[in-house]
Amino acid sequence: MALSNASTRRDSLRGKTAIVGAGLSAVGRVPGRSALGLAADATYQAIADAGLPKSQIDGVLACHAFAAPFHRFSVALSEYLGIQPTFSNTLQVSGATAATMFNTAAAAIHGGLAETVLVVGGDSLLTGLSPELALRSMTESRDQQYEMPFGIPVANTFAMTMQRHMKEFGTTSEQLAQVAVVHREHARRTPGAQMTEPLTVRQVLDSGWVTTPYHKLDCSLISDGGAAFIVTSAKRAKSLGVARPVYILGGGECYTHEHVFLMPSLTTTGAVQSGQRAYAMAGYSARDIDVAGVYDCFTGTVIMMLEDLGFCPKGEGGRFVEDGQMTYGGSIPCNTHGGLLSFAHSGMPGALFHFYEVVNQLRGRCGERQVAGAELGLVHSLGGGFATNATTILGTEATL
Amino acid sequence: MIHPGDAHLKPLPQPDPDSGAFWAGLKHGRLLLQHCLVCSQVQVYQQSRCRLCGSERLEHRAASGRGHVHSYSVVYRAPGPAFKQDTPYAVLLVELEEGPWMISSLLGGDPMAVAIDATVELVCDPVDARITLPRFRLTARR
Repeated sequence: MALSNASTRRDSLRGKTAIVGAGLSAVGRVPGRSALGLAADATYQAIADAGLPKSQIDGVLACHAFAAPFHRFSVALSEYLGIQPTFSNTLQVSGATAATMFNTAAAAIHGGLAETVLVVGGDSLLTGLSPELALRSMTESRDQQYEMPFGIPVANTFAMTMQRHMKEFGTTSEQLAQVAVVHREHARRTPGAQMTEPLTVRQVLDSGWVTTPYHKLDCSLISDGGAAFIVTSAKRAKSLGVARPVYILGGGECYTHEHVFLMPSLTTTGAVQSGQRAYAMAGYSARDIDVAGVYDCFTGTVIMMLEDLGFCPKGEGGRFVEDGQMTYGGSIPCNTHGGLLSFAHSGMPGALFHFYEVVNQLRGRCGERQVAGAELGLVHSLGGGFATNATTILGTEATL
Repeated sequence: MIHPGDAHLKPLPQPDPDSGAFWAGLKHGRLLLQHCLVCSQVQVYQQSRCRLCGSERLEHRAASGRGHVHSYSVVYRAPGPAFKQDTPYAVLLVELEEGPWMISSLLGGDPMAVAIDATVELVCDPVDARITLPRFRLTARR
């Protein structure tokens, strides 16, 4: 594909930084661990993986936690970890936050604001939310004047996009259910996944409506859990002697609207732009990607993202999934850990689990889930009813 | 912030400097759209400036109240106790005759009878002395 200015600019962040450590807390139902505790569990694993003392972390980027509503979660977590970074921020663009943290970490390191950045999130949505906070998370996430008075759950915004997709392209409920089935099959091979019972299309269709066209099993989980990563300069990654560092090759984002009624199109999202920017910076296209992590808050979301990220033509996502193209042996093995639908979904940290899986795929550490020869990966996270979209492209040394 | 003791109360709009006239209009049965006198943009979401050209020359004109369903979703699991007794109810993304889209919900009728492209018309639904919500009902046309 033609490279844009972003990729050809000499100062692009392509390949300038690398992930040298990754950590994951227990996920699913994890009683007795606060949001900060989960983030700390993941962090200590990540720094051990990187072989660094915590004192060498000079930057912290975190996502907001519902169960620990600090105004400055990244700062509170630094205190909890006993570190005093010289670069820190708590990012909040809903589900898209995960990829924005990696993009921002890469830019900050490349720009000299920090050398070694902890990218981290943890939340306890399943066991840690007080009734007050649970209610708040349900009622305060949509506009209080133009949306919430009509009783619109967040799920409803995604549901309306899919309703339209089904009308325009003939996507079926069975195809949506198949997305859930594929995720469950993947989760069954993932140690620690929240949902590992076998699942059929019929069970999804019989699981009861949440908000049409979504049934209960078209919806992602509610979980506890955290994940953490150590990102540093490519130069420092080399000097640390880390086996198979994972390079950040490209990042792209797009913010098309805030209110669902101001979304430019219900069926084509900002993921098109965010993906194109990331591909251009990385110098690769969708057909080059070996393994993907695609935000799966609802089954239909995956179908729309496979289209918008260029893995299949617009409108063909349903058939693409039905044909087995998003799993092993297909054109793009996707969410091989089981995703938000079956592995775990602890809110904003949820998409960090996609990063954890893709990083481990690129390091060849996925055991029976390993995608053979995975060198190039893509993670896409999104939120707010497709208001926010962020993409990161990762690769091994061979892809530089 | 909503407290659990008030969880049964539906969230109501708190008009702000941008939206005061909009909510006052609804009290009098008028859905006021902002028409930009410079670029002809029409907006439901009330702002001090035109979202396209940035002009402050906006004029309120009442919508015809006619539109059609661009998309919808019938809610079975309510977002909190306040909406539970209403389930199932249809949340609508209405395309107004004048062009802009807005979120609303169906008033009366069978929520499962809603379909994309169904024609709807405005019903002003007074909730209390201060707030009237713009809701829609299905019409027979088309």
